[in-house]
Amino acid sequence: MLFLQLLANGLQVGAIYALTAAGFSLIFGSTKIFHFAHGATFAIAAYLFHFALTGLGFHWTFAVAVAAISAVVFGVVLDRFMYAPIQRHEGSFFTVFVASFGVGIVVQNLLGSVFGRGFMSVPTPLSNSVEVMPGLYLSPLNGLAIGCAVICFVALHYFLTHTFVGKGLRALSENPELVRMFGLSPRRLSTYAFALGSLLVVPGAIFTAAGTGINPAVGHHVMLISLAATIVGGIGSLRGAACAGLLIGVAENLAMWKLGTQWSEAITFAILFFFIIFKPSGFFGRATVS
Amino acid sequence: MTAYILNLLVLISVYAILSTTLNFIIGYAGIFSLAHAVFFGIGGYTAALVAMNVTPEFFVAIPVAMAAAAVTSLLLALPALRVRGEYFVAASLGLQVLAVTLFSEWKSFTGGIGGVIGIPAVEMLGYPIYKPWQFLLMSLICLVIIIGIIRILVHTSFGRSLKAIRDSESAALASGKNVTVIKTLSVVLSSALAAVAGALYAFYMSFINVQSFMLDTSVLVMAMVIIGGTATILGPLLGAALLMLMPSVLTYLSFLPQTEIGSIQQIVYGMAMVLLMIFRPGGIVSSHPGGGK
Repeated sequence: MLFLQLLANGLQVGAIYALTAAGFSLIFGSTKIFHFAHGATFAIAAYLFHFALTGLGFHWTFAVAVAAISAVVFGVVLDRFMYAPIQRHEGSFFTVFVASFGVGIVVQNLLGSVFGRGFMSVPTPLSNSVEVMPGLYLSPLNGLAIGCAVICFVALHYFLTHTFVGKGLRALSENPELVRMFGLSPRRLSTYAFALGSLLVVPGAIFTAAGTGINPAVGHHVMLISLAATIVGGIGSLRGAACAGLLIGVAENLAMWKLGTQWSEAITFAILFFFIIFKPSGFFGRATVS
Repeated sequence: MTAYILNLLVLISVYAILSTTLNFIIGYAGIFSLAHAVFFGIGGYTAALVAMNVTPEFFVAIPVAMAAAAVTSLLLALPALRVRGEYFVAASLGLQVLAVTLFSEWKSFTGGIGGVIGIPAVEMLGYPIYKPWQFLLMSLICLVIIIGIIRILVHTSFGRSLKAIRDSESAALASGKNVTVIKTLSVVLSSALAAVAGALYAFYMSFINVQSFMLDTSVLVMAMVIIGGTATILGPLLGAALLMLMPSVLTYLSFLPQTEIGSIQQIVYGMAMVLLMIFRPGGIVSSHPGGGK
């Protein structure tokens, strides 16, 4: 029974990782910007959702809107005012990564100073667990998180294959020069990529805030896992990010079953380490590792 | 007051060793490692183990610590040979997280979360070194020797090959450089020298635990290198001094809330990283003013 319980938890956590990883993968795949501050977006969305709901007493729909708007604005502002100037004169991977990491540090500490460093969680009746089978406790949140992830992935797939902007984003990941020649602006597409990628963290942020709870380091943690998922799945592949996110969520929880909680992060990174050494292109990635 | 300043200077020189050795692989070899604290830790734990069970002799503990770090650094060299850029960063992150788990779980070697307590004072050829100023002298000498080694290496053909690999691996390969050996050697050397810092730290504090060797330390050292300036000798030293002095300077600014000093320090260096990357990607002491590498 413990196995099923951990599997259920793993799927929920995995769904959250998959969405965050998909956002990171979308941004990285199309713009080639290593957006480490993606975790900061996650933390901001989660904290503002919490604040809007419990601090300001908003209805939950407004709180979700606040989280979504703040995530998108944060992502786009970073793209416009940090990544664009860096890329204008240099744009090596190294510079982008350092700046992005810096943003992550600033956001984590600002959130800690403003909202406190302890764990916070949003009280909601949805997180009350019910014993469905002897020893197996499920809450409506489990199902909601997984359902929401499925809907997001279907919508994202539709967007990328059926809309003009979506096709533009895929084209950008293939060949930015050709996109420019075609009369589209890579800069504008990059803004769309950031808006969309940042939006994808919102469900994960909300479910984390309502479920296991959040602390200022949550963004950092989620980012590390999403990075692992993106690489294990293959950079630029949404399908890969989704599968790897689920895989890591489940592996992390099953690791608790055999080894104990303290090993869960180590398991994730052991998986990552072996993938990088033996199959750096990941599950579905194109073999373009230089 | 003197004790306070001596303490600060010892810590600055320990961190300066770390930032100088990390700069060697970031700045000259283009290997962007986020796992430097691992070798700092291995150096510390090994030196502590040797000092407590065999002898607190400097010339025994330090070489053993260096050897331990050199052997384990092959784990970092492996991905460095296979992948570059973001993939390598991810691999080094993975190694760092794995190492932290091992440090806190492998109780016979590291004492678990509680750490190693009561490391004896270091001896140099039988002469015990326990006064702060003696210790400062010893760590400064180590720092100078390490800077010397790196300076010499950078100016030999080895250093030129490294820079060639950093700028274009295929071009270096095409001109007959043995990329595998050169890259592996640079990682091994940098990690072994970082272990010196670990050993000094363990002897100085006489107590170490996993808290000192986490990802935060790796990031702090990386920030020192980047804020100071990569691929320069002076940059990492300046970075180490600035970032180590910042908390004490902030404590003197009485208008700041004292409980938030840690956060403010982190925010300042996070901001510094962002602004420097936008306006001066080469760091404060930039080897190519106005542009990065």
